[in-house]
Amino acid sequence: MAQPPPLLMLSNDQTDAIKFQKDASKFDVISAYKTFVNDPDISMPVAAMQSLSELIAQTEIATMFELMEAVKDAATKLKRHYSHNSVSLSAGCDVFYQFISSLRDFGQDFEGFKSHIIAAVREYAQNTKQVKDTIADNVDAFIKDDSVILTHGYSRVVVNAFLLSHRKGRRISVYVTETRPRGLGMRTHELLTKAGIPCTIILDSAVAYAMDKVDMIMVGCEAVVESGGIVNAVGSCQMAMIAKAFNKPVHVLAESYKWTRLFPLSQYDLPTHNDHILSFDLVSTPPTSGSNSPLPGTPRRHHPVLRTTDSIPNLLFAAQRHPPLDTTMSTNSMSNVMPVGQAGRNPEVDYTPPEYITLLFTDAGILTPEGISSYLVTMSLRSESS
Amino acid sequence: MTSVESVPSTSTQVPAVGAAPDGPPQRKQLTKAERRELQEKQRAAKAAATAAGAPAKAGNAPKPAPKPSQGQNTKASTPAGASGSTATASNAPATAAKKAAKSGKEVDTQLVDKTADLEAQRRHQTRIFTHFVGKKEGGLGAGIKGEIHPAIIRLGRQFADMKIVGANARCIAALVAFKTIIQDYITPQNLTLARDLTQYISPQISYLVSARPMAVGMGNSIRELKYHISVVSIDMPEQDAKDHLCEQIDTYISHRIVLADSVIEEYAMAKIQNGAVIMTYARSSVVERVLIAAWTRGKRFSVKVVDSRPMLEGKNMLAQFVKVGIPCTYLLINGVGSVIAEVSMVFLGAHAINSNGSVYSRAGTALVAMLAKEHSVPVLVLSETYKYSNNIQLDSFTKNELAPIPDPRTSSRRITTRDRLGNETDVDDETRNPNLQSINPLYDLTPHTHITVLVTEVGLIPPSAISTLAGLRDKDKGMQLSV
Repeated sequence: MAQPPPLLMLSNDQTDAIKFQKDASKFDVISAYKTFVNDPDISMPVAAMQSLSELIAQTEIATMFELMEAVKDAATKLKRHYSHNSVSLSAGCDVFYQFISSLRDFGQDFEGFKSHIIAAVREYAQNTKQVKDTIADNVDAFIKDDSVILTHGYSRVVVNAFLLSHRKGRRISVYVTETRPRGLGMRTHELLTKAGIPCTIILDSAVAYAMDKVDMIMVGCEAVVESGGIVNAVGSCQMAMIAKAFNKPVHVLAESYKWTRLFPLSQYDLPTHNDHILSFDLVSTPPTSGSNSPLPGTPRRHHPVLRTTDSIPNLLFAAQRHPPLDTTMSTNSMSNVMPVGQAGRNPEVDYTPPEYITLLFTDAGILTPEGISSYLVTMSLRSESS
Repeated sequence: MTSVESVPSTSTQVPAVGAAPDGPPQRKQLTKAERRELQEKQRAAKAAATAAGAPAKAGNAPKPAPKPSQGQNTKASTPAGASGSTATASNAPATAAKKAAKSGKEVDTQLVDKTADLEAQRRHQTRIFTHFVGKKEGGLGAGIKGEIHPAIIRLGRQFADMKIVGANARCIAALVAFKTIIQDYITPQNLTLARDLTQYISPQISYLVSARPMAVGMGNSIRELKYHISVVSIDMPEQDAKDHLCEQIDTYISHRIVLADSVIEEYAMAKIQNGAVIMTYARSSVVERVLIAAWTRGKRFSVKVVDSRPMLEGKNMLAQFVKVGIPCTYLLINGVGSVIAEVSMVFLGAHAINSNGSVYSRAGTALVAMLAKEHSVPVLVLSETYKYSNNIQLDSFTKNELAPIPDPRTSSRRITTRDRLGNETDVDDETRNPNLQSINPLYDLTPHTHITVLVTEVGLIPPSAISTLAGLRDKDKGMQLSV
């Protein structure tokens, strides 16, 4: 069998770390993704794009239709594997798919088509730093000297923007929430203090307490949705709502590959929501009324789903996702973190509706939420008609 | 759906309105002699009218009857001596209508007179809504110069009597009628089809507008039709041109309405979860279609059908849902506040979407949307893009339409109330109480802030972004989508 085509995406040492199969159907998109996402500069959607592009590089498929199908299958596999955190990843996969569908004019030159895609994605990945800098430049104009900024979780774009402003000589101080349960706020704190920016970690529940001391909110996001709202780490929505109550501007930093055609009608309409989140434990006897039947007069939508004890897979799943909790805890003893079983019933991301967002800073410019939705509508129409 | 089905029947006769199935039972009061007397008087009146009035045309617009004819009618009915002059006065024209059906001209005039009288009375009393009060002087199609095709006359009558209601139904019915017109049209000597057909169509459109104000979607489709007519090549043979235009109309209906509805179905169905409680209002062809399709595909949910007077259109939709097996609750709009807490989402239809994202729809829609918003219930408005209008409307007052007074002789929509003794009286019978005037605006405006999402065939769009859509369409087609 001939050698697989040269791996254009990976450096030499990365090549050694992964073994690729020659047959495209055995291409392990998950392990490819894991490799790409290890790079600290690469976010999840870009890593997804890179792994799909790698699939194209590796494959021996010769027809357009089969290629699109293979890409679609790989994307579905990725999304399913990371279903708890899949919004930005889905966004990346969709952007990639849209990109390759829009390249129609390669005709018979299939190899040319493939290498074009591979080159484009590689350039894209290399440019992510560039994109972040463009956004940071735009943001800088909005940061006044001596600003106090509140942020949530860890976003590379946001940290990059703070560092850039700091380098330009602006004096800023930053509050960052702990962002439980994943504790991403600590990473932000680490990076900012290393650069010399005063940064304090506050409790997620202290956001309202701190709001009056803050000049603006600045957050990143997993995805920008079609309504003009955003999907971000859980806690963003309440931060935005409190900011609105206090009349503080909420600025969102989002690269354009994070824009999706999703339109959540509510928190529970997100693809990341499932019946297990916010569910209740069955304590004693089963309910007498058929609370699951769709009869008229049934109590409200989102009524609590009564379940028996947690199934084993859920427990393991929950354990995997969170930093090590105190495993000696039983339900009886005192603990200051929630037990693993309970932790699994909590969401990872939430949806912030557009009415709470002031401006979105993107590589396509500074847009209002209405502007972003107009832009998205235009983009989707253009790609449909092409 | 039932209103659309009434379109395809092919009779082009001017319908004898007085011969409606619910004809007045008081007919039996007039004896044969009295009827003959009536007939003589009317023949005399007709002769007088023909001498004085305009010459007759085939398939013409009904003209307002000259005064003497009507005066004679009333006089003729009095000697008949029936109690309750109202009953007899309304009786005589009905009987006359039956007799005069063959002559085909005076039918509408008698009826028109009566309604015109009522309208005049009402207009005299109306202090508000004067800018969109009912029909013009003289009744349907009065003062319109030009030949009106029988298909249009029929359609106008159906519109005026509210036999065809709903934006989609009216638009499709109008376009189908226009296809007939185009096929029947013959280009006169020395004129081009492209120029003359447009002129020929204009009075037809005016006639329809005199029956009921132009629906936005209908207006858009007619504008597009006129565009297609205007670009017909002068070299194209007439029949080919006519076939081409009919094909354009078919494409419009197929793409912008029928197929658009299928796509909307897909998008809307994706938002329906099992166990959802969906609230609907009045009747929308799209909403009906979506929910029936979702149920047929296996989704399980329940529906709360909200309805309101005087149209009570929700009953039709309820019947369709029940037929398919969807568990439904039916309530009038005053009960919405009690049930909104149980509702997962609201599905609404639209008559038109304005450029600022506000929705012009059946009166009562705004109420339902506002209440839903207050209770954080998502409001989905399902609408095809052909209903988009470049207008901006800020309230329900500047543009609206009043429901016509139901004619007790012809309409099955008699609105009655009972007094303490249980006797039924006609609420809208203004001849009994000249101080009572009922006003039923047909439409209202829902501000865009109360709408969560617009479900169109191009996807789920937030209301604020709808104007981008129109801009794109215009650029693609190279012509104005709407005024």
